[in-house]
Amino acid sequence: MLTPKERLKLIMEGKKTDRPACICPGGMMNMVTAELMDEVQVYLPEAHTDARKMADLAKAVYEKGCFENYGVPFCMTVEAEEMGARVDMGSKVYEPHVIEYVIDSVCDYQKLTPVDVTKGRAKVVVDAIRILKQETEGVPIVGNLTGPISTASSVMEPVIFYKELRKKSKEAHAYMEFITDQLITFGRAQIEAGADVIAISDPSGTGEILGPKFFEEFAVTYINRLLDALQAEKLGTIVHICGQMRPVYREVNELHSNVLSFDSVVPMKEARAHLEDRVLMGNVSTYALEFGDPERVKMLTRSCQKHGSDILSPACGLGMKSPLANVQSILECLKEEA
Amino acid sequence: MSSKEELLKKLSDGVVEMEEDDVAEAAQEYLDAGYPAFDGIMEGLVDGMNRASQLYEEEEYFVTDVLLCSDAMYAGLDILRPYLPEVANDDKITGVIGVVEGDTHDIGKNLVKIMLETAGFNMIDLGRDVPLQQFVDTAKEQNADFVCMSTLMTTTMGGMETVIHLLEEAGIRNKVKVMIGGGPISQKFADKIGADGYSQNAVEAVKLAKRLLNIA
Repeated sequence: MLTPKERLKLIMEGKKTDRPACICPGGMMNMVTAELMDEVQVYLPEAHTDARKMADLAKAVYEKGCFENYGVPFCMTVEAEEMGARVDMGSKVYEPHVIEYVIDSVCDYQKLTPVDVTKGRAKVVVDAIRILKQETEGVPIVGNLTGPISTASSVMEPVIFYKELRKKSKEAHAYMEFITDQLITFGRAQIEAGADVIAISDPSGTGEILGPKFFEEFAVTYINRLLDALQAEKLGTIVHICGQMRPVYREVNELHSNVLSFDSVVPMKEARAHLEDRVLMGNVSTYALEFGDPERVKMLTRSCQKHGSDILSPACGLGMKSPLANVQSILECLKEEA
Repeated sequence: MSSKEELLKKLSDGVVEMEEDDVAEAAQEYLDAGYPAFDGIMEGLVDGMNRASQLYEEEEYFVTDVLLCSDAMYAGLDILRPYLPEVANDDKITGVIGVVEGDTHDIGKNLVKIMLETAGFNMIDLGRDVPLQQFVDTAKEQNADFVCMSTLMTTTMGGMETVIHLLEEAGIRNKVKVMIGGGPISQKFADKIGADGYSQNAVEAVKLAKRLLNIA
């Protein structure tokens, strides 16, 4: 019998396994629900700032039969906050979000504070990974990074950022290099602490927003630079891109990650047809997970599996009110089918 | 001296080509030649923005392109608008728009606002991370005809349903149409929470608003 970690490793290497894996990375892909917090009596927003609680909540996701991984953090604001953005920690049901930017233009990036992994919430995340590494085995630990474009548009007004990609190309590249260097620092620290997998979500860097040319020039370039700079000693990497892939399949295929993940607007069948040789992750509708029932979730799970998903996962972050029974149905279904 | 038609084309092309400075220059030249501001806006700037939307629909243009086109349009509007004959704003159909509480992603909302303004609606923009009650209070104060809400996050979708309940409590649900949109939103979700409509993108949002409000 394979452990979840062994199974994920084989899948990431493109090898055959008994069945698909079932994970939800964390970060933007939130896997914490209100019911889960009640079960283990560990709550957000406290767990965003306390390594012990963060690790305990991450453990609960696996222990309660939701997904076969641990993952931290539970938001996508750590990097921006460490660089100086003001963040509202949210509540039991709302995710943390940036409420005050640091700079007004890509030209001002020297004003940003470089990420220091021995301080603030970057340290909380690294400590939580260390705790998970010490106290568990056989289950992959996923460390999450906010993608370069999403991080870059979290410390300044996104509309200005998007415009300057075109109008101030040279400065925008210098800014993206700085941002990517900060993500590399944070990612390497996560792996050093014991993260087996690094998942990068870049919801603000979609093909739909940027168009193919800028998607390649800014999203693909810097995600790859980040991926290439992470240590080789790890299980693998996942990149999640939101939105339609039709305009950018060719560019997406250039990403150096082991796994590609999409949201539910991308039919798994279409993704498989365009990305024949890639390991694909996805994409059970979070709408069905929140408002459907276990039967519906299982039906969608079987459909994803049939159409070529190697790693079953929710298509996006879970809604906080998603019933535990629905969330547990993805994994249950995979075990039944195997 | 350029003819009116030439200048209108310059305005329209400038918007499509995202050339803010060209548009501003053409707008000034147009005014100096004594042509009516209203035509310059409708047949020049708005025409250009409509062409940009068409390109967006055809997937030739993407979100960043449309944002730059709208900058060029607003550069021209700033110059021409002061010369418009006074029209009471009451005649205009008014909409309230914002990103629901808990979320700060507003690219989609901005785009929808731009498109609706281009289509002639008077839009009141509440911005992002908007307290739910504020949608209702503003709709009531401004006598709004419709409310548009968006979110990119699954965790904040529920706020839209709350706004609909609050509109009911305030006794104005039958006076305002509710439109929603954003990454995790779907027609199914709109039906479930009792919204009047869902649109997948900014161009569709204009069509939806016109349909809901019976505007040809």
